[in-house]
Amino acid sequence: MSYNTVDAENTSRTTTMAAYRKLEVKSTQLLEKIRENLEQLNEKIDVMIEIQKHGRREIPDSLPEALDVMTLLSLPDHLRKTAVTLCKLEEATADEVAKQTKRARAVESGYLNQLVIMGYMKKERRGRKAYFFVNKEA
Amino acid sequence: MGKIIAVHSYKGGTGKTSLAVNLAASYARRGKKVCLMDLDFRAPSLHALFEAHKAEYWLNDYLNGICEIDKVLIDASRDYGNGGKLLVVLANPSTEAIRDMTAKDRKWEMKALGRLLSLRSSLLNDRGLDYLLLDTSPGLQYSSINAIVAADVVLVVTSLDASDLKGSQRMARELYDLFEKKTGILMNKVIADYLSSKEERAKFNKHLNSAYSLPILDSIPCFCDVLRAAGDYIFSEENPEHPFTKTLEKLATKIEKF
Repeated sequence: MSYNTVDAENTSRTTTMAAYRKLEVKSTQLLEKIRENLEQLNEKIDVMIEIQKHGRREIPDSLPEALDVMTLLSLPDHLRKTAVTLCKLEEATADEVAKQTKRARAVESGYLNQLVIMGYMKKERRGRKAYFFVNKEA
Repeated sequence: MGKIIAVHSYKGGTGKTSLAVNLAASYARRGKKVCLMDLDFRAPSLHALFEAHKAEYWLNDYLNGICEIDKVLIDASRDYGNGGKLLVVLANPSTEAIRDMTAKDRKWEMKALGRLLSLRSSLLNDRGLDYLLLDTSPGLQYSSINAIVAADVVLVVTSLDASDLKGSQRMARELYDLFEKKTGILMNKVIADYLSSKEERAKFNKHLNSAYSLPILDSIPCFCDVLRAAGDYIFSEENPEHPFTKTLEKLATKIEKF
C-alpha cells in the first residue's frame, strides 16, 4: 500500500467523521426544535381545553381583569395559590412558580394558562421560555 | 431574614394599634430594627403618637407611586444603646386623603398590593430590618387584606365580645386560612380575674376552646393604667416594670419563635 492510499483513506475517514458530527449536531437541533414545538402545542391544547370548558369562543386575552385581593379571595384554592405566588414573584416561568408552590411544573403551567385565559395574567414568550406576569393594564 | 407581621381584628377598638406600637417598641429595645406602618387609611392613628410634623410624605404617597419608601420613613428611635431602631410610616390623617383612599378602584388596589409586596425586598432585604409591623384597619377592607397577603404572620386582636370572637373565627376560616397565613389570636382586655391564677387561666382557656376553634396565642389582661394613658405615649417605654409591659415582653418573645 502506497503512502498516497493511506493518506487518501485517512482523509476520507476524517471527512466521514466530520460529516457524522455535523449530522449529530443537526439531529440534536432538530430534536430540540421538535421538543419546543411539542411544548408550545401542549400549551395551546391547554388553552383550547379551557376555552371548551368555559364555552368561550373568542380568545379572552382582550379582556384584562384586575387581580386584586377580593378577586384572589374569590378564586378556587388551587388557582389562588398560583396567583398569589405570581403576585409575589411579579414575573416568573411555570418552573419558578412550581418551585414556590411545591407542585409539578406541568400542573402550574396548566393553572397559569388558565389564569391567562381568565384575563388576570399575561404571557410573553422570550426565546425558549414563557414568562407570566400580572396584567397591570387591567 | 426579617418578618412581616400584620396586626388585624374583626371589630374596631380591640387594641390593635396599642399592641402594635408596644410590640414594635419592645423589639427596638431588644436591639432589633423595626418599622411600624399605619395601614388604617380610614382612621389613621400613629400620627397622633409620633412626630407627624416630620412627615414630608405619607404611606398614601408611597402606595400612589408618588415617592419611594425611603421618603416616608420617620426615625422614631430613642437611644436604646444597642443598635435598636424604630422607624414609623404614617397614614395621611387629612379628610381629603381619607376620602381619596376610600374612592380607590380595584386596579389601584392591585397596584397597591404590588407596592406592599415589594417592601419585603426594599425594607427587609436591602435595609436589613428585622420586623415590619403593619397596623391595619378592622374587618374586610382592601388595605387590611393587602397587608395580610404581604405578611408572614397575622396577629388577630379580639375582645371577649361574642360578636368579635365569632367574627374572628369566621375570618380565620374564610380569610387567613385561604391565604395560608400563620395566624395567632390575641385575646385583649381580658377581665383580670380570668387570668388571676393558673387554675382560672386554665378554666378560661377551656371555655374559649370549647366555644370557638381559634388558634389562641396569648391573653392580655385589661389594665386601667393603659386606658389612663389614653394612647398619648408609648406605655411600655414609660412603664418598664408594669405588668402590661411584662406581658407584652413575653408575647414579643412568643412571636419571635412563632
